[in-house]
Amino acid sequence: MIAPKKPEIITFRIKRQDARDAQPYWEVFEVPYKPNLNVISCLQLIAENPVTREGRQSRPVVWDCSCLEEVCGACTMVINGRVRQSCSALVDQLLEEVGEGEITLEPMTKFPVVRDLWVDRQRMFDNLLRFKGWVPIDGTHDLGEGPKESPEEQELRYELSRCMTCGCCLEACPQFTLDNDFIGANTFGQVVYFNAHKTGRVLMNERLDALMEPGGIADCGNAQNCVKVCPKDVPLTIAIAKAGRQTTVHSIKRFFTGKR
Amino acid sequence: MTQSAVAPSSSFLDRHHFLLRRLHSLTGIMPIGVFVMFHLFTNMQMAFSTFQHEVDWIHSMPALLFLEVFGLWLPIAFHAGLGLIYTFNAKYNTRHYRYGGNWRYTLQRVTGILALIFILVHVATLRWRWPILGEHTPFFAWGWAVPGSGGELVPLATATTALAIQSSLLVILLYVVGVFSAVFHLANGLWTAAITWGLTLTQQAQRRWGYVCIAIFLGLASFSAMALYASVTYQASEVEKASLAKTLEVYRQTGVYPHKGDKPHPPGHEPEAVETRLIMPPATDP
Repeated sequence: MIAPKKPEIITFRIKRQDARDAQPYWEVFEVPYKPNLNVISCLQLIAENPVTREGRQSRPVVWDCSCLEEVCGACTMVINGRVRQSCSALVDQLLEEVGEGEITLEPMTKFPVVRDLWVDRQRMFDNLLRFKGWVPIDGTHDLGEGPKESPEEQELRYELSRCMTCGCCLEACPQFTLDNDFIGANTFGQVVYFNAHKTGRVLMNERLDALMEPGGIADCGNAQNCVKVCPKDVPLTIAIAKAGRQTTVHSIKRFFTGKR
Repeated sequence: MTQSAVAPSSSFLDRHHFLLRRLHSLTGIMPIGVFVMFHLFTNMQMAFSTFQHEVDWIHSMPALLFLEVFGLWLPIAFHAGLGLIYTFNAKYNTRHYRYGGNWRYTLQRVTGILALIFILVHVATLRWRWPILGEHTPFFAWGWAVPGSGGELVPLATATTALAIQSSLLVILLYVVGVFSAVFHLANGLWTAAITWGLTLTQQAQRRWGYVCIAIFLGLASFSAMALYASVTYQASEVEKASLAKTLEVYRQTGVYPHKGDKPHPPGHEPEAVETRLIMPPATDP
């Protein structure tokens, strides 16, 4: 879709922050319109000539990116109030959202800002470590053939495997805040993903024990924003319900088995 | 391997986090949710002549206080206490993410608080008889005998509630907002609880169960609407009004309310002679 009336100039209102603990402030930049721009190409144009609309010399906007094709998640930011990747955010579509107005760019609010639009997403990677987001096949000995997987299992696992740890689901989640201990949808997805793998299942009990701690699966409030904003259509609400089912069964087993 | 277990020195709440959260979900369904269903079914009978009978039946239960404390007050206090903590730790964002699920998430917490305020006022007035709504606080089922009542206690279960609701916009607002909040909170809570416990996995299953929850909402909402309509349109008789006025007056003087099976007159107010003459013909009939 292309905006019916193309403007001469595109206006960007960008939230800037000079350092981790610095106060954020807004700056407005103008970029000449060209068809098929994305947000990143506009940020590059601003970097070429970092002068605000008022004519004041500024510095290039800092943001994080890597793949430029919506598979790494690094360039995720809040665009027009909605979280998404800046590489796949097309200016023609954004102009339809704002009409004559400005396109706003903000860093994600649920992660600490490093600088400008660049945030520190380490919390998600720490969680993958904490929840043993891997299949344990380390060793020098011959492990033999891999386990057989049914097409149904494979289908769900493929969908879950598409997660790129971008953080959209956490940004949109009302339960996930900058300073609480909630783990969030993407990690629940990975727990279910690795629990579904026949070899990964070896670590299932440890994953479920961790999932029952504060901030775990029980803290999900079922607003289901995660699945709505996920750019990779990861079936996060299925994963959350499955994690709920697995912890229900696990906790009842634990209750009647007891600790030795 | 990284050790993710919570340190043994952590608080009681942290060590039993999962259990407490699941108990929060469970108490909302059983006993609170089941109780609300029966409660609203009973209220619906205000539109029929069976309401007084139901109220008397409840008040005649053995170990009623035990049932109330362990079946209602403690579960409600637990559910509300934890719920309030969750409510104020959330970061609401319906402005930017206007999804149905996100609205229901926010509404679930708003209706929880509204229902809690309502339940506190409701129980304080009807059960604990705090007259915080003034003259027409609905709080008892029986009134003292008055002329015209045939020398018997007057059943007031429907009349007190109906008159209270008719007497004040505040009371009717409290009941409408409070009851419908509670009904939404219960129906939506049943929908999310099915996900929490892992019953409904897929979107299809969640949609199906959603239809059931909508049916539960509509059923309970219509029970509530029938009770409210019956209250608003109730025509209290002169005897009921007189008995209510007398009961309130005696309460202000003595702090005593009558119960079913009590003597029809308050202690010290027995107009024995008058009533006897009314009922029995004079003995010296020629």
